[in-house]
Amino acid sequence: MPLLEIRNLCVEFKTRGGVVKAVRGVSYSVEEGELLGVVGESGSGKSVGMLAVMGLLASNGHIASGQILFDGEDISPLAPAFAGNPKAYEEKMKGIRGNRIGMIFQDPMTFLNPVLRVGTQLTEGILCHEKCSREEAKNRAISLMKQVGIPSAEERFRQYPFEFSGGMRQRIVIASALACRPRLIIADEPTTALDVTVQAQILELLRDIAREQNTAVIMITHDLGVVAQLCERVNIMYAGQIVERGTLDEIFYDPRHPYTRGLLRSVCTHGEAGRQGLSSIPGTPPDLLKLNTGCAFMPRCAQAMKICRDYMPVPHAFSSSHCDVCWNDCREAADRVTAQESEG
Amino acid sequence: MLQKSEFFKPIDKSEQDSEFIAMEPHSFWHDVWDRFRSNRRALIGLIVLLLIVLLAVLGPFFSPYPYDGMGTEVNRGPSGTHWFGTDALGRDLFTRVLYGIRISLFVGFVSTLINCVIGVLYGGVAGYVGGRTDAAMMRFVDVLYAVPSLLYIILLMMLFGANVGSIMVGMCVSGWVGIARLMRTQVISLKGREYVLAAYTEGAGPARILFKHMFSNAMSPILVQATLAIPQAIFQEAFLSFIGMGISAPQASLGTLAQDARMYMAIYPHQMICPIVMICIIIFALNFISEGLSEALDPTNSR
Amino acid sequence: MEKKTKETKPVVSIRHAKKYFLAGRHLLRPSDYVKAVDDVSFDIMPGETVGLVGESGCGKSTLARTVIRIYEPSAGGIFYHGTDISHLSNARLRPFRAKMQMIFQDPYASLNPRYTVGEIIGEPMKITHMGGKSEREDRVQKLLQQVGLKPDHISRYPHEFSGGQRQRIGIARTLALDPDFIICDEPISALDVSIQAQIINLLEKIQDENGLSYLFIAHDLTMVRHISHKIGVMYLGHLLEFGDADEVYENPLHPYTKALISAAPVPDPEQARTRHRIKLTGEVPSPIHAPAGCPFCTRCPECRPECLLAPPVMANQNGHKVACYQYV
Repeated sequence: MPLLEIRNLCVEFKTRGGVVKAVRGVSYSVEEGELLGVVGESGSGKSVGMLAVMGLLASNGHIASGQILFDGEDISPLAPAFAGNPKAYEEKMKGIRGNRIGMIFQDPMTFLNPVLRVGTQLTEGILCHEKCSREEAKNRAISLMKQVGIPSAEERFRQYPFEFSGGMRQRIVIASALACRPRLIIADEPTTALDVTVQAQILELLRDIAREQNTAVIMITHDLGVVAQLCERVNIMYAGQIVERGTLDEIFYDPRHPYTRGLLRSVCTHGEAGRQGLSSIPGTPPDLLKLNTGCAFMPRCAQAMKICRDYMPVPHAFSSSHCDVCWNDCREAADRVTAQESEG
Repeated sequence: MLQKSEFFKPIDKSEQDSEFIAMEPHSFWHDVWDRFRSNRRALIGLIVLLLIVLLAVLGPFFSPYPYDGMGTEVNRGPSGTHWFGTDALGRDLFTRVLYGIRISLFVGFVSTLINCVIGVLYGGVAGYVGGRTDAAMMRFVDVLYAVPSLLYIILLMMLFGANVGSIMVGMCVSGWVGIARLMRTQVISLKGREYVLAAYTEGAGPARILFKHMFSNAMSPILVQATLAIPQAIFQEAFLSFIGMGISAPQASLGTLAQDARMYMAIYPHQMICPIVMICIIIFALNFISEGLSEALDPTNSR
Repeated sequence: MEKKTKETKPVVSIRHAKKYFLAGRHLLRPSDYVKAVDDVSFDIMPGETVGLVGESGCGKSTLARTVIRIYEPSAGGIFYHGTDISHLSNARLRPFRAKMQMIFQDPYASLNPRYTVGEIIGEPMKITHMGGKSEREDRVQKLLQQVGLKPDHISRYPHEFSGGQRQRIGIARTLALDPDFIICDEPISALDVSIQAQIINLLEKIQDENGLSYLFIAHDLTMVRHISHKIGVMYLGHLLEFGDADEVYENPLHPYTKALISAAPVPDPEQARTRHRIKLTGEVPSPIHAPAGCPFCTRCPECRPECLLAPPVMANQNGHKVACYQYV
């Protein structure tokens, strides 16, 4: 049984301009101890999907449909167990957030309270979810700080967040995410705000933790370099859908979807020299207020065909782990799809 | 309908609009108005205020009675000929209330406007120039603010007589201090914004940066502060008039009307109630507008 | 003086530029200063891109803002075509302002939200009284087209655009006055990957068309290498290494440059698995209490005793300059 399984998740936001479908039918699963990367541009729904899982959507957003199975139990607010009872859902999520699923955000200061000592925040986090004495919690907190590589942890335990550098703050956030030995850590761009040399340290730390404690990590990022360094499997998202999924090597060495290819070509690697035209994807991510009926990538796709405009492509598997969603690869399904559409 | 043979033909480049934006162009003020409009209380406040303004401006022209015209029918109750009745001197109370609204609104709006202009200029310059100039300018403001405004008003009234002008000037002597401080902090925080730096590197002069770039973005909180200052000014004027330090007869503001009615309160309560209810309606309307405006200007402020 | 390889004269020369900020006054001991930029010198040639890399707080943005005279340098000179502009008054700077422009980091903060795209791009022309109203409008349309936006975008407001589109609007604005030198202050670090390449390509295209020079600032070495002819590496306000882009990248001399290159994440799983990574310990020291010796000595894996005493001078190795005792 997978640790986390998301089935056909749809998330919608009500805005002044209309309903924005931020996540449109996303399904995937994470196994115990697995390192999954979710890659996408801003507005691709990569973060929103995770916030929906944690029940942290903004007030104008809601899960329109889908199931979220954590350890085999549906923890979506639509689940029958919480039918018409948002309080029960909130109660349930309180027990899961920070306890069984840890979270790391891009900006550590959104997580840390600036007027509380770092140590206090860590111990409170532990006491909140576990029954132990204050002394035990304190010792745990200090050993966590040591574990995430904070030098002279005993002294820094008594300091305030502003006395820490960006990298050290992110370590504190990781420490608090680890406090209750969660089985899953969701990391939303945890290294984007950090310097390269510090970024490498944080990634290494995350990988070591995942290995040692058999914790699954979902890494949400737009940086393919981060994914290449950390992850085992990758989902590529575009405009609220997963357009390609596969193992790390499949995605990097055998990309199939035109978006994945474009993405990989638009980053330069160490190997190539000089400034001879990077290949880039033209245009901007689509306006989610008004998507065309077919493939969302069509307006920017170099291989777009007429069918892409009108009909949504269907998944096509290349191997048990690798599949993409593009009309170039699922041509044989065209008749079936178009017939279905004209019927219903 | 797409033909089968067409399925896998390359799409026309003209159909690939990758820079597409679905929303109609809409400016910030357009958004603000939309949000304001959707707030029912604020909208009702605005409509009521506009009606009152209209009434106060046009009403006296249609009223058969002059505001200072005394008559023989004294202390009458409300009737078909005298809607709000008459006062102790036989003057038509409805006409007097309309004139009172005129003066109250005039004092409220004009003094706030003057305060805003002075405050924005003073605070803007202090914040923009910074350094010692800023420090000196702000100390002067502190000194000004340390003296209660009542003192300025009394002083001016002794010099220029009890009229609308001296009340207004008195309220403006230190009334702009709040706006100036607000504008100063706004300017200081806007100074580091990249679009301000961009204008600077384009060679824009201080006036252009201050008024074109900074003021347009500092306006929201100033506007909210101003809409709160209007009812305050109306209140202050009414209060001064009520304690007998305001506008002198035969002119009347809502405050003096209430003051005049005080003696007959037990016998003819309507003389008191009419102007007071008017003040209440105006203040409520203004407060609703100000609340709606602050939510419309900054959506994160809303509940 | 350095050896001139080409006949042409530099567009911009930076000579021993220093920018100190007062951090605190004390009664009994000298005031604290943040030495944001400390004795930096290099040239930018016509049609050339100089890339400047370094971690946050290394002073690269302060240097950029000093060069374009948002700040006045504390010491040293900034020369634009041979004229020292480092202490000119605002009025006397105006003719130079038109020729030196800046692209900012945050596309969400660099455009005034209250004005339309047309007004934003047209503003530099309005300030310099360039052309009539219709001429300016024509030019705005031409600039929009040059950066790949549509004519009807002219009446839209910044918040309606995506980050990449906004950055292109910012680029159009800087081009309005036809400058010959543009400072790009981390123009791509806030953008998505696919958009980063787009902006880099656009900047390169504009450079080829208009023949202008860039000072390109970033913390991402790979992109900087791609766009730059020369690269400078900064750390704690000091320039540690400066040379041809490929030379610095292929053959880094300074230990910090080596670490920086090896730390950059590569989008290639195989390389990520096998590559040797130099691990730096610790963090950048506070610029108020910078080390007395080499600025990098607190984290340097190859630190020697003499490094702690005085900062090393720039050594020139066939045009590849480095400030490290290993090469003195």
